[in-house]
Amino acid sequence: MSHPPAPPQTGSIPAPEQRLHPLSWLFVLLQQLKQFLLPVLILLLFGAGDGRQLWGLIAVAILVLVALWQYATFRYRIESDSLIVRSGLLERRLRQIPFARIHNVALQQSVLHRIFGVAEIRLESAGGSRPEAEMRVLKLADAHALEHLIRQQARSAAAAARAYPDGPPSLPESDTARDLLSLPLSEVMLLGVISNRGLLVVGAALAAVSQISPDLLRDLAEPLIDALTDWLNLQPLGYAQYAYAALVPVLALALLLQALSIALALLQYAGFRLTETGSRLTIERGLLTRLRTTASRRRIQAWTLKEGVFQRLFRRRALHVDIAVSRDQSEQRSFREIAPIATADTIDGLVRHVLDQADWPPRQWRALHRYAWLRLALPGLCVAALATVLLGYHVGPWGLLGLLWIPWAVLAARRHLLHAGYAWEGELIAVRAGWWSRHWRFTELNKLQALRLCRNPLDWSMGTASLWLDTSGAATFAPPLRIRFLPIADAQALQAQLGAQIARRPLRW
Amino acid sequence: MTETPAKGSAMQASDSASGADADRWQALAPQARVIFMLSGAMTALPAAIAARLLTRIFDLPLGWTAACAAAVLVGIIGVWVGWRRYQLTLWRLDLYAFSVRRGRLWQTDTRVPRNRVQHLDLRRGPLERYYGLATLIVHTAGTRDSSVALSGLAQADAEALRDVLARQSEHDLAAGDDHRSDAVQTHPLPPR
Repeated sequence: MSHPPAPPQTGSIPAPEQRLHPLSWLFVLLQQLKQFLLPVLILLLFGAGDGRQLWGLIAVAILVLVALWQYATFRYRIESDSLIVRSGLLERRLRQIPFARIHNVALQQSVLHRIFGVAEIRLESAGGSRPEAEMRVLKLADAHALEHLIRQQARSAAAAARAYPDGPPSLPESDTARDLLSLPLSEVMLLGVISNRGLLVVGAALAAVSQISPDLLRDLAEPLIDALTDWLNLQPLGYAQYAYAALVPVLALALLLQALSIALALLQYAGFRLTETGSRLTIERGLLTRLRTTASRRRIQAWTLKEGVFQRLFRRRALHVDIAVSRDQSEQRSFREIAPIATADTIDGLVRHVLDQADWPPRQWRALHRYAWLRLALPGLCVAALATVLLGYHVGPWGLLGLLWIPWAVLAARRHLLHAGYAWEGELIAVRAGWWSRHWRFTELNKLQALRLCRNPLDWSMGTASLWLDTSGAATFAPPLRIRFLPIADAQALQAQLGAQIARRPLRW
Repeated sequence: MTETPAKGSAMQASDSASGADADRWQALAPQARVIFMLSGAMTALPAAIAARLLTRIFDLPLGWTAACAAAVLVGIIGVWVGWRRYQLTLWRLDLYAFSVRRGRLWQTDTRVPRNRVQHLDLRRGPLERYYGLATLIVHTAGTRDSSVALSGLAQADAEALRDVLARQSEHDLAAGDDHRSDAVQTHPLPPR
């Protein structure tokens, strides 16, 4: 520790090395404890008595040592065009991160961070499985300074590196932030109602509990059910009263779930603001843990606009973007949801504003193959056939009721086809699909990567093909940028034309 | 299964593709056929094991005969499939892109624009080395098609392709972000 290795000569004025906040070991420790929480808890709970608690303590002590050691070895230095991070326990790691390569800067402040006046910063670049640098934790002022500096540097570095003539005229970059979207409390609560996240959380919790201790749920539920049946047996009730009696807990449960969903939405999205500073977009959100993440608008690789059934009921949509950064565990921390909930007009305006080389929505959507509804209905038809056979086997002629599914499947497919389509206008390429739950996915030509044309036997019989357009950093569960059921000649022509257009546009990310 | 020769369809498609390209779809190296057929034949082993296990589980007679029969049958089908896969795997390098086409009933035609190539790998296993073959892996920054692997290239072809594609991405880096400068450059392959 006493003799740090000489910094690499980069030909610029060497800046002083800086350390993390002295308390950073505490937060590293907390982070590690979070990972080991379950094993440690199990050790403490079930290992009572026979000296195993001692092992838990030893483990915690080791973790404390590791955290202290990490704090002691971590240094960073700001050079003229890059950030140099030196860290390492036994093997030393020196990392040089050019500002121009940083795609996303995320600053996070939990309640504990706020108590100590510190913050955590993550710098992400394209690709890789981990963030380029993770500073856990810096003094708040230092964190803000670093964030600001990276923004400034990245901007000047990017401006120096490129001089594209017909790109966006480099705007007079000002530091005044402009509000693009901010969500009032009522919208955040509506988001909770729409997202129904409470159901997911409760489901996940139940699953986790049943994994850890399969009998626990039954042990908890049995006395309840017993008491309930006893009580019901004592009351002479009619059918209507039974129905009410059943309705009350169901309603109560639904309300509880909604309340939980709203609470979760408030925790995550309260105070949501999307602002624009020069060419950089910043998302701020969170009630207890404040999160601020910043990315340049040209880092956006693809856009996803979604409208589910509930969203349509309340006339809202959600807009997500992909940026090409590591997709690891903390997906919700990265720069993704730029408009979690907003009206269609607001979102269209936002997209138009941020996409400066293209217009949105496209003036004209091109339709898919006119018989594509046959293909869209196919899964439904198979379900109907299967249901009919199974039902027929069990209940005889009544099984033919299964065929009633066919008109529905056909209707759904035809409605879907009406809404499905693609558009290529100027720099914009867009795909839309869905009926009940709709989505639009679009990107600019210079963000496209490989183009893949696929045909399966059904495609051969109909003379169609699907064209997959690949972009960077696509989320695992995002709908694909894929044009299905194109007539084969169109698909081949589109692939060739797009390929030629992409070849004229250097990759900019 | 259709028995239409693969060549015919390949030629048609290359005509209807962008008019700028002079290059045609190219077949893999002739030696690669053996490797494709061998890898197809490999399916015989799991088939034999599966047949043996099934006869054991359901207490059927003729366990080893069934296993051998399954191995032979699946092996023959595998060899045929491998041979077809060899025939139906084609590649093309034109002005704009490197393309790989595979299969017929389930056909995919992947087109990697030349300036989207991030880096390139050349891989040679023992068998490939014996036959003078190589596998070229083209990496892009994409998600689903972030790498396109083409095995069964003659080594010289693979190296030439690698050099041409690498030169292109180098050229792009050098040119920076200026997309006026007619970024499409032709780097024709040296004649085989």
